[in-house]
Amino acid sequence: MKADRNDRCREWRHLLGAYALGDLGDEERVGLEAHLEGCPSCRAEAEALASVARLLPLADPDRFSQPAPRPAADLGKRIAATIGGEERGRRQRRRWRFGLACGGVATALAAAALAIFVLPGSGGGEPEQRVEFASLPAGIHIGATLQPHAYGTEIHMYVKGVRSGTLCHVYLRGPHGERVPAGTFTYRWGDDSTAVLSSALDLSRTRAIGVRAGNRTFVAPVHAAGATADDNSTQEDVT
Amino acid sequence: MQPGALRRERDVREAYAAHSGELYGFALRSLGDSGLAEEAVQETFVRAWRAGDRFDPQLGSLRTWLFAILRNVVIDLGRARATRPRVAEGGIEPSVDPLEETLLSWQVEEAMRRIGEDHRRVLVETHYRGRPYSEVAAELGVPEGTVKSRVYYGLRALRVVLEEMGYEG
Repeated sequence: MKADRNDRCREWRHLLGAYALGDLGDEERVGLEAHLEGCPSCRAEAEALASVARLLPLADPDRFSQPAPRPAADLGKRIAATIGGEERGRRQRRRWRFGLACGGVATALAAAALAIFVLPGSGGGEPEQRVEFASLPAGIHIGATLQPHAYGTEIHMYVKGVRSGTLCHVYLRGPHGERVPAGTFTYRWGDDSTAVLSSALDLSRTRAIGVRAGNRTFVAPVHAAGATADDNSTQEDVT
Repeated sequence: MQPGALRRERDVREAYAAHSGELYGFALRSLGDSGLAEEAVQETFVRAWRAGDRFDPQLGSLRTWLFAILRNVVIDLGRARATRPRVAEGGIEPSVDPLEETLLSWQVEEAMRRIGEDHRRVLVETHYRGRPYSEVAAELGVPEGTVKSRVYYGLRALRVVLEEMGYEG
């Protein structure tokens, strides 16, 4: 009996795809439906295929006929650089906290000031650039430290005073005015206001750094070695 | 992978090698811009690394976790552009979240890429182009019953791939 049923199932089962898509002629459809009535196994298979068939209109054959898009080959390296930079920042902050915990208040304040202005320049003697955004609305402070790497530039951004939750897009501007993205971060009030980002543009070719915070963009010149930027920090309207 | 096992840079590199293609595919489909899509993928891995201690493979796969993060990143970037993420045409029901529908649409297209060429071809010719089975069979030089069989095995393969991708419908 079981063998008979399997044979009958084999006979009908290959029609289940066309049935799920509503493509069977009347004769085959009526015969198949009669089989389904008495065969829970084929009925379950028909229902499973019907749920897949319902999804087909969501797909566009022009898209899936093309190869799957791939990100730029260096994206993995950029991510590793961002995470590596952030990890170094974490270790550095842990050291600062340790220093703060060990000293008195006055000593700690002095140590913090030194940490901010001395430590960033002491990492292996590389020519880091410290950038201050000067012409900012009252209450907003933005600063950045730029460090050269083989892959481009590592950027530590310090932001204060913009609305908590603001999404900030950062970019570097090259010698011909081209913008090279450096990533995004969300400013959270009361949280760590330092973000570590990276851009593929070499620091030696960087003329300016820009931050789009909400609907405003702030730009500051970068005087890297070999660079000749003579503009001042400005605020631009987003177009 | 152990709980909280996305803490080291090496873990992130491995996760990137395994999942970046799919994440980028969905980000590009949602945002419609390759630069923004790369930003979204970068932000996803950075957020995943920052929250690496909270990842627990007992609760779900790394892939599912990364897609959940990417979904939030896409929403953030979509808001920042003051435009809604792109929505697939058509739909299952009007109340479906547009981003969920985009995800499902991308999943079906990705699954279509992964099934065998023979299966994909008969589904494209019969279902998407609406050609009669007999015509497709003649063009391929096979009996009409073979075309029907391929449609059947094609849908089955599609279902298996979708389930591997996390579809639970």
